[in-house]
Amino acid sequence: MAAGPPTAVLALRGIRVSGRDRPRLEDVDLSLAPGERVALLGASGAGKSTLLAVANGLLAPVAGTVLWEGQAPARSRRGRRRQQARIGTLWQDLRLIEELTVQQNLNAARLARWGWPRALLNLLLPLDTDACAVALRAMDLDPALLEQPVTALSGGQRQRVAMARLLRQEPTLLLADEPLASLDPRLASELLALLLAQAVAPRALLLSLHRPDLLDGFDRAVGLKDGRVLFDGPVARVNAALLADLYGGTPHGPSP
Amino acid sequence: MKPAAPLLMLLPALVLVPLAFLLPPLVHGGGWELIGSFALAAVTPSLDPVVLASLLGGLGVTAGMALLGWAGSLVLGLLLGAASSRTVWRTLTGSALPAELIRRLLALPRAIHELIWGLLLLQLVGLQPAVAVLAIALPFGALVARVLSDLLDALPTANLEALRAAGAPAPVALLTALGPALLPGVLSYGGYRLECALRSATLLGVFGLGGLGTDLKLTLQSLEFHELWSGLWLLLAVMLALEGCISLLRRRWLVPGRFVLARRGVGERSREMLLTLAALVPLCLLVGRGLGVDPAALLHWQPLPGLGGGDWAATAALPWPRLVGGTLLLTVLAASLAVGLAPLLLLVVAPLGWARQGLRLLWALGRLWPPPLSALLLLFVLEPGVITAALALGFHNLGVLGRLLLESTGATDPAAEEALACGGSGPRLALLYGRFSALARPYLAYGAYRADVILRESVVVGLAGATGLGSQLLESLSSFAWDQLLALVAVYALLTLVGEDLSDRARRRWLAAA
Repeated sequence: MAAGPPTAVLALRGIRVSGRDRPRLEDVDLSLAPGERVALLGASGAGKSTLLAVANGLLAPVAGTVLWEGQAPARSRRGRRRQQARIGTLWQDLRLIEELTVQQNLNAARLARWGWPRALLNLLLPLDTDACAVALRAMDLDPALLEQPVTALSGGQRQRVAMARLLRQEPTLLLADEPLASLDPRLASELLALLLAQAVAPRALLLSLHRPDLLDGFDRAVGLKDGRVLFDGPVARVNAALLADLYGGTPHGPSP
Repeated sequence: MKPAAPLLMLLPALVLVPLAFLLPPLVHGGGWELIGSFALAAVTPSLDPVVLASLLGGLGVTAGMALLGWAGSLVLGLLLGAASSRTVWRTLTGSALPAELIRRLLALPRAIHELIWGLLLLQLVGLQPAVAVLAIALPFGALVARVLSDLLDALPTANLEALRAAGAPAPVALLTALGPALLPGVLSYGGYRLECALRSATLLGVFGLGGLGTDLKLTLQSLEFHELWSGLWLLLAVMLALEGCISLLRRRWLVPGRFVLARRGVGERSREMLLTLAALVPLCLLVGRGLGVDPAALLHWQPLPGLGGGDWAATAALPWPRLVGGTLLLTVLAASLAVGLAPLLLLVVAPLGWARQGLRLLWALGRLWPPPLSALLLLFVLEPGVITAALALGFHNLGVLGRLLLESTGATDPAAEEALACGGSGPRLALLYGRFSALARPYLAYGAYRADVILRESVVVGLAGATGLGSQLLESLSSFAWDQLLALVAVYALLTLVGEDLSDRARRRWLAAA
């Protein structure tokens, strides 16, 4: 599937990753157009996390090219950081900074764009309160939480704060590695809806899922098996046979 | 407006601001050439076999004194630690009162730095190897006793009560119920103490108690920088080997580190631990013979000048407020430098892998390099005084704190830092936000403890002149003014005890808020 006339937010070509301590990838092609919402499916060990690590620049592939908004990884440190600032990752373990307040955590997403003075000031004073409140409201959270330490939040609130931090970064590429894995089904679909609502052009979303029943709202699904792309097409074409193949026949298929 | 955790960690570095104004007037043109040739000599140490043989001999003596002093402090600390434990007294006699009493008494030997012990003993029994050993064993023993009794009293007593209820005699019950639980903590602290003992033995040498320290001081004073560096590199090799061995054993036995956030486990292979401890006994006997340590010679006291005729009026006329003030200022300056600079330097070099290695080496040199020698070196280009002394003391403690910080940075979860770097924050800000946040409180708690150590240590840079109690103490000692000496030691001890109390409170506060 070729990217349309607008430059692809993410384009992976012939990606190969070999490694003993993580699942391999073989000849993976993947492209995300602006506004596209893509679900990444596959059994555990299929290479979903590896693929996301390549997509967010944490892992350099052995072979193949990575293009973010049409640009290869910049050589200069500064250029590279500017690229990374446009890639937002929602981590499965959230990676909030426990010792800081909600507002300081949200503002930590701005560090790439801020210099030292503001970065230090953020540790002393509440900065950009309005923008932080907007990000919280977008995730259905009360802005009164801004002054709270993140340790005081409930599990669901922490999840939403992590998503609000993602918004605060203003990335063009949204990546999420099984963000819903540890949530109860109702909360999972609620949060997924919030996340999908944010993925509008020029932004694109790539999200790995272990539960194929949450596919509604995605434009495309990509199925990984043993480090290779087994399927890449509209969500409507995902069926029981395909899932059985993806998950190696394990009883992981969608409930009818 | 309350500074957040990572910012707190950098606040002590603000001491650099006043220093930037105070330092330039202190520079005198004199010895830049000397500093230059000193620095150059680092890469051209003397390889003369005669020099090396003599340095190696000195190193052997220093290592031997350190080992014996350390072993003595362990024995002393175990006995005194048990004797000052509330749990032990309560089990044996039903009352914890004697424990409180002994605990208070032990504060005195603890409050007096090993250098003061060494110099006092030197006056008392003359120069012999046992002086340095005893000078290390006494204060270290009291320190081990304190840590041990704290550990003992913090242990849950359910097992102990069960054994007692089943009719086990008190000593047996104590050993069975508390011994195994205590071993990892004792070994961890003991290992750290051995590192301290090596540094102390070197320091005592600088003040003439023999070993490599004496050689280092003589080569520095005669400006034989090439020979000086041969000695420093040898000492560095031994110190790094020792630190490496201890951290290897810590990992192998899974005993907790001195300063880690995550406890990975508590104790494994206890038989191996005990065997290693047992093997120390013949080793110490051998070393003792080799050094010619003769405990009997300690009993031959030299005649003391009568204290009765002391000139107490002259003692009272000493400028006490200035002396105490100077000591406190020195402590605060040195502690702020050490505590603040370690994270700051780590941030500065964060993007550069090679610079981090350079920092590691610089800190190792800071640890092994006795502060009085740094002070002497600084005096080549700086006027004597509190600031010069604080720089010397700060550099030494920066080496200690820097290593701890680097180690614990490596031991904490990298996830948050990785996430920030992945979002485009530079490596420095990612380190500050992602790692220092979690480290700040335990680091500052350790810094509070270190400040207490620095106060005690401030005597060792007394030869940088006009630094408060330390320099006055060395002066009174060299003029055999026993009355002044006694008063100075008493004030020092009092100050240290107050400092210890303050640092304990600060530490508890930092850790409680974590």
